[in-house]
Amino acid sequence: MKRVVILFAIVFLLSLSAYAQQKIEIIYWTHEDPNRTEIENRYIEEFEAANPGVTIKRVTNPSNKMAEIVLTAFAANQGPDMFNLQIEDEYAYIVNNRLAPIDYKAAGYDSLEAVYQDYMPGTLDSVTFENNLYGLPMELTNWCIYLNKRVFWDAGLDPDKDYPKTWEEMVEVSEKIVIRDGEIITRRGFDFRYPYYLVAMVPMAEQLGGKLISDDGKKAIINDEAWLKFLTYMQQWGPNGKNLGSPTYTNARNLFNKDNNDIAMCQSGLYQQGRIRADNPEFYDSGDWAVIPYPLFEDAVRDVASAYYGHYFVVNQQKPKENQEITWKFISYMLNYPEEYLVKVGLIQPKVRLMESDEFKNMPYSDVFRQDMERGHIVYYGENSAIIQQHIREAVESVMLAGRTPEAALQVLKLKVQEVLEEE
Amino acid sequence: MKYPLFKSGIEQKKSRWGLFFVIPSILFFSLFSFYPIFTALYTSFFRKKLLSLQPPDFIALQNYAYLLKSPDFWNSIRATAVFTIGTFIPIVILSLILANFIVSRKRFQQFFQMAYYSPAVLSSVVVAVIWLLIFDPRGLGNQVLNFLFNSPGVDHKFLANSIMVQISTMVVYSWKYLGYFTIIFIVGLTTIPQSTHEAALIDGASRWQDFYYITLPLLKPTTVLVSVMSMLQCLKTFSTQYLFTQGGAPMAPINVITLNIYHTAIRDHRIGRASAMSVILFFIMLIFTWLQFRVSRSEEVSY
Repeated sequence: MKRVVILFAIVFLLSLSAYAQQKIEIIYWTHEDPNRTEIENRYIEEFEAANPGVTIKRVTNPSNKMAEIVLTAFAANQGPDMFNLQIEDEYAYIVNNRLAPIDYKAAGYDSLEAVYQDYMPGTLDSVTFENNLYGLPMELTNWCIYLNKRVFWDAGLDPDKDYPKTWEEMVEVSEKIVIRDGEIITRRGFDFRYPYYLVAMVPMAEQLGGKLISDDGKKAIINDEAWLKFLTYMQQWGPNGKNLGSPTYTNARNLFNKDNNDIAMCQSGLYQQGRIRADNPEFYDSGDWAVIPYPLFEDAVRDVASAYYGHYFVVNQQKPKENQEITWKFISYMLNYPEEYLVKVGLIQPKVRLMESDEFKNMPYSDVFRQDMERGHIVYYGENSAIIQQHIREAVESVMLAGRTPEAALQVLKLKVQEVLEEE
Repeated sequence: MKYPLFKSGIEQKKSRWGLFFVIPSILFFSLFSFYPIFTALYTSFFRKKLLSLQPPDFIALQNYAYLLKSPDFWNSIRATAVFTIGTFIPIVILSLILANFIVSRKRFQQFFQMAYYSPAVLSSVVVAVIWLLIFDPRGLGNQVLNFLFNSPGVDHKFLANSIMVQISTMVVYSWKYLGYFTIIFIVGLTTIPQSTHEAALIDGASRWQDFYYITLPLLKPTTVLVSVMSMLQCLKTFSTQYLFTQGGAPMAPINVITLNIYHTAIRDHRIGRASAMSVILFFIMLIFTWLQFRVSRSEEVSY
């Protein structure tokens, strides 16, 4: 009788633990991207089939809301099991110990060293902190200039010869392309990516010898002359200067895909190709578009292209260990298909095998992106990167829109960024 | 005559039932208003980072001292003051005029009420998105003004100029809430007995004299209510400014206190400093409400 009771107890406990295993649910928060949703939903189905009892709940949010939503959830200790953000927003989670270090065994690697060897050199530096690795890259993106050849032809320009190689030429070419109804621009030559000053605009100051932060991290906004020239350039670009564009005009990236003769050039990543194909297949197939490198100032002292940024998959350290283990396994499963991410979504996962693959080499203009990435560096990331970006934004807006002189704007910028550094 | 709180008989029963019915509201306000207010006050004395798992450092009044020296915070005070004065005064005056206009109509009263009230039911986000399209340099705003003033090709820079962007936020906010306060005035106007107006007119008062000497004094409680409510709404404004800055408008001219609180907490992760700002905003609202009641306090008018 005693044996029967013990046997029942063992069976009961085993069934309980099996039941508990069945109940593992991984919550995955990410930003909206229809092309990626399609393939990741398939990976989830495959992963769930191969791991009975595990369910992955994928939740998408607008990309401009992701940082805020994740932050609010973590502040209330209610973060998801895994998420991805741009490294500028994600780094604070690493330094505040909110993320779990990689479980390399669960991710299918023999050692931590093997993980680093799987990726291009330096691409995991931003998620390495105190000798631990906290994330794996879903994408590493840099921006080049997309060019609509039809608009160039319409303006009497030859896109193969007349495309701008320098920022000065960008002004000249834009002046030839731009069409105005009085003061109102109805066709623009080029549009900057205004909200992303660290990625798109800081390299312009760097080309002129400027630096955001000194090498020892103590001094902000190095080389006044370089920053002044950059701010003067933006002032001249704006509505109170040559009136070639302004942050208040509709964002050019989506307009570019429509090809309705209102924008000639915009700044975007390799992923834009998938979006052109989805939004306007005729334009995509026509080949009447091209990608050109990030321009240089004529008197540049450094050859710097746009900064690159990474979206890294990371795991919440407040979740149970078994959830963390399954989550790393799932992340590794998704990242096993970098070719599909590249071809179907246009995202570059910086794995060594992908960068040397035919799929990468055969992507239109992948060589332009690769060469520009070699000219660039990772975007400035730190706990304070968002507030520093805001101060740069204020400086640029003040010279473009509020009539402040570049000298006055620079003084304010220096003071504010220095204050941020000193408060840390 | 004053009644003691607990009495025997019918009054006691009434008091108990009154207390019983009020308890849910007290609990609701305690949980969702008083608790956050006291938590914010407590947090404002600490250096607390939103993501940090470390216990926050007690820094007494340092957050307040920092804010009082911060040009950014004073700019927010200025932006909030300009917006509030530029919005709530026109709202009170225009909604009173509109309410009189609607009440004086013999036909289509309901239609006008519905038409003016409809923006109030839209979410602030939808309103801001609609107006962002209107204020686009190639949008309806420039087209209409250029047609009216026969000034083709002029860009009025609704979002691209420091002054214009402040006026734009005032226009959007007034458009949204004008109908709401008009309805409150209409309710106030309908409580004034028609016989009082008729008596004044028989005594030889003009329409203007009727409005000035009869309507306005009798409408005073409603006017105070509308002005307090609209002022508090304006001091708390957030979504219009937030969405305009997302749409490319410059931040500094419209960086109202609530927007600054949001950025300090969510972008900079400094929840202690953001709490201190919200406590200051709370006291500003409290002081102005008290002032308004005090200024408008006088003998009740009755005819």
